[in-house]
Amino acid sequence: MHQDIAFRAAYLVTASAEDAEEAAAAGFLKAQRALARFRPGKPFRPWLLAIVVNEARNRRRSASRHERIGLRALAQDRPGDAAPSPEASVLAAERRRRLLDAVSELPEKQRLAIACRYFLDLDEAETANVLGVRPGTVKSRLARGLAHLREELPDDA
Amino acid sequence: MRDLERELRELGAELVVPATPDFAARFGSGPHQERADPRSRRRLVLVLAVIAAVIVGVAASPARTGILRFFGIGAERIELVDRLPAVQPETPLFVGSEIDLADAPFPLQRSDVLGDPDHVYASGDVVTLLYGSPKRVRLLVTEIGSDELRPEFAKKLLAVSTALTLVRIPGVVDPGLWVEGEPHVVVLPGAPPRLASNTLVWTNDGRTLRIEGELGVDDAVRIAESFR
Repeated sequence: MHQDIAFRAAYLVTASAEDAEEAAAAGFLKAQRALARFRPGKPFRPWLLAIVVNEARNRRRSASRHERIGLRALAQDRPGDAAPSPEASVLAAERRRRLLDAVSELPEKQRLAIACRYFLDLDEAETANVLGVRPGTVKSRLARGLAHLREELPDDA
Repeated sequence: MRDLERELRELGAELVVPATPDFAARFGSGPHQERADPRSRRRLVLVLAVIAAVIVGVAASPARTGILRFFGIGAERIELVDRLPAVQPETPLFVGSEIDLADAPFPLQRSDVLGDPDHVYASGDVVTLLYGSPKRVRLLVTEIGSDELRPEFAKKLLAVSTALTLVRIPGVVDPGLWVEGEPHVVVLPGAPPRLASNTLVWTNDGRTLRIEGELGVDDAVRIAESFR
């Protein structure tokens, strides 16, 4: 369970399966070494994810990968959707592609806040723990990120 | 107006992420894994168990024992030691003064699986429920009225070869610590050190709880899950 979300978090930062695996493994190892400093009673998952995300960010920086992250989304209709027309399918896929592109173009702090909050489905407090910032900072990064995305993708896009 | 946040959540579910590699396997296996019952423990023992396995493995290295001199789960302090202190095998159980259940110093979390204990003892903020008799203990349940580490509460001494496993208890936020196998020593306030049986320690709602007895991890987790 933690292994999956740790790898997913690392992949969202690095967009490289190899780097994500390295980051997640290194994060687990660091967590093991730091376990004695883990404060009992505090939620474990954000603490672990914070270490993994930090490892992933370090790897991304050390590789000087300043290009936008190259995430891909499934180009398929969601289960349970009514069968859309071909035009609607194309438009929906195009919007998802543009949305993902727009997320990829966000400044890193906003992108990580968006990724933690929406792609990993963490709540704001967990996101704050993972990113090592205050909940208020998460709120403002999310708000700025969402505002950017709305500018990039108007409702009729 | 489109719900952008909902769109982002849906997008997150559709992101193409490679299958998670088994990177935790790089850490090697621990003694507990050899005993693991794949039918039921797999769902309980998280990948965190690997971390605990590594802890045990690292502890065996003299150069790195410093990492493990101290470990905390809730109010319980756990020390990994090279050699356990001498303990009289016939040390009578002493876990405080016997009290009535209603006189516990704080509201106890209770298990609907276990029912009422046969004896109840208290020593400061430590309450022990005994199932069986003091001479033939079937199960000990200890509740400590805090989940903050305080050295005066309880201490457990483990040989480095003792198997430690972090387990997930359904309905409980943080993982519990399962101690099984090699004998270990528990020290409660005001009591002489004594040898302990298999033990599960966890925290819940500001309390530290531990159950101790000749039981396996599945039964221990099932009992822990029933505490509310």
